[in-house]
Amino acid sequence: MILETNALSYDYGSGEKLQFPDLKVAAGEKIALVGASGSGKSTFLNLLSGVLPVQAGSIRLLGQSYKDLSPLQLDKIRADHIGIIFQSLNLIPYLTGFENAVLGLEFSRTRRAKIDDVTYKTTSLGHQLGLTSNILNKRPNELSVGQQQRIAVIRAILGGPELILADEPTSALDPSATEKFISELNSSVESSSQAIIVISHNPKIIPWFDRVIRIGRE
Amino acid sequence: MFRLAMASMRSRLIPVGLVVVALSASMALLLSVDRIQQATKSGFNQSLSGVDLVLGPRGSGLELVLYTVFHLGKPTNNITTATVSDIASDPMVEWSVPVALGDNHRGFRVISTTDAYFDRIKFAGDQPLVFAQGNTFRDLNEVVIGSDVAEALGYTLGTEIFVTHGSEMLGELHDDFSFKVTGILAPTGTPTDRSVFLSLEGYELIHLGWKNGSKAVSLKGLDIEAIPRDHLYPQTVTAVYLGLKSKLGLFKFTRKINDYPEEAVSAVIPGVALAELWSMVGTVDSAFKLLNWLIIGISIIGMVTMIMTGLDGRTREMTILRALGASPPRLACLVLLETFMISLTAVLTAVILVRILTLGVADLLGEWAGIRIQLTWLAANELMTLMIIVLAGLGASLIPASMIFRRSLHRGFAD
Repeated sequence: MILETNALSYDYGSGEKLQFPDLKVAAGEKIALVGASGSGKSTFLNLLSGVLPVQAGSIRLLGQSYKDLSPLQLDKIRADHIGIIFQSLNLIPYLTGFENAVLGLEFSRTRRAKIDDVTYKTTSLGHQLGLTSNILNKRPNELSVGQQQRIAVIRAILGGPELILADEPTSALDPSATEKFISELNSSVESSSQAIIVISHNPKIIPWFDRVIRIGRE
Repeated sequence: MFRLAMASMRSRLIPVGLVVVALSASMALLLSVDRIQQATKSGFNQSLSGVDLVLGPRGSGLELVLYTVFHLGKPTNNITTATVSDIASDPMVEWSVPVALGDNHRGFRVISTTDAYFDRIKFAGDQPLVFAQGNTFRDLNEVVIGSDVAEALGYTLGTEIFVTHGSEMLGELHDDFSFKVTGILAPTGTPTDRSVFLSLEGYELIHLGWKNGSKAVSLKGLDIEAIPRDHLYPQTVTAVYLGLKSKLGLFKFTRKINDYPEEAVSAVIPGVALAELWSMVGTVDSAFKLLNWLIIGISIIGMVTMIMTGLDGRTREMTILRALGASPPRLACLVLLETFMISLTAVLTAVILVRILTLGVADLLGEWAGIRIQLTWLAANELMTLMIIVLAGLGASLIPASMIFRRSLHRGFAD
């Protein structure tokens, strides 16, 4: 099992408690988390990525409970085992597409050790996603939103982190690009060892996932 | 991390560049002032050695030392050779070297003295004056020149020169008698290098026929040998360098000279006069240094402000890095690394600037004030100063670095 949550809830201090469904994610699974705005989708993602502390309930990633880990250990868990894709503005503006794509390896020796030739692997993934070397050498302001999101995908999956978390990755894309992007994202992931959790409010992407989990306010 | 810091700074080239310029300019200013001060001190301290006392007309001891030893200012009065002979015959005096000043040769000061000058006057500790070429003056119409004079004017042994009356280059020429260069001194790094030496009698010779500072009668073509030597014996000199048999009686002898009844004279210990000079200059020097450090402090504040305000615009960047697993200490290190690189660039720029400035003004300072600046890249004390500045910069940038710890990651995720 890659990820397991149990009785997870979060209170921002306003007295409004967000409750989250129990989740068991196995390797190779592709899960869509859907819910209305303000339902707590991003909070759930922040909890899963170890950014927010677990207040109640539990999260276990690869058998390790987040509650047993210090903030620095959680950072290391995130660097080694989690790839994150934001809904937009995924890239650091002063780095090229290629530099952005390999940035995650800077913080994880574990992921770096899994790749023999970083340049080859990155450009191969780029070609797989329709990004030429020329595009990879450009800075984000010279790229379309779709190209930027694809580079974010490369960054998230490079070095084979076990869990890929994507927060509304298609929200900035037009409808035709959305399906293509989700298709490419799913095909890029090594299905045998990685799992994907995608947050979205777009029902059109649901057919691409193995399971759909609804998050609602209680 | 290094590449990330470099790329980040490249993206903020203008503000980073301005901070580097401000920091390096203030550091260069500090180093330059320090170098000039060190060179001045070292130049003054090394210029005269082996002389226990400088005897001159009563007045400011510092002024006496400045115009006799360092050629700064003009002598205002003279002392009679009768007094000089009397004092020189004192049992406590081992040797005396009189000097008469007032004329110049193309801007270089003319010192008329005896040939004992070249044996008695030392420099830089206890180093004697050495002739690079030729020898001391033996005849009335012979001169010895310092190394800078020879180099600047292209003079060699045998060159014939004229002396100009007074200390101004454009003064009236003593063109009745010319002098032949018979000796060129080896470089000393002291005012000696920029001096022209002739005998006291030679000095009297060129002033024959002169009244009240201008030529009254021309003696051109006069046979020097025909002039009776007792006519050339100087009645007055500007000052006398004295060496005592024992240093123990130095202060007692000084008091004795200052109470000399026949003429208003005073004796000055060169070291004491220089100490007086440094204490006068020291206050201004300290104020200037303080001002410099304030400028550096302001530049460091500017650098930290730039980084702090930059952090607000870098929230997304920091969020991405945190999402990739960069811990707050690591991001703080990134900020410190950027500061270190800015400071280091400023230091390197400052060192290059100082080098260029030193090369540019070294000759000018040498000619104008006799200050010889060392043409080194970086001295140990300068390195220490620069390290302090870099450390201060790093210390100050702990403020923006600590701000990263306080920023919450999820705020960026949700944006």
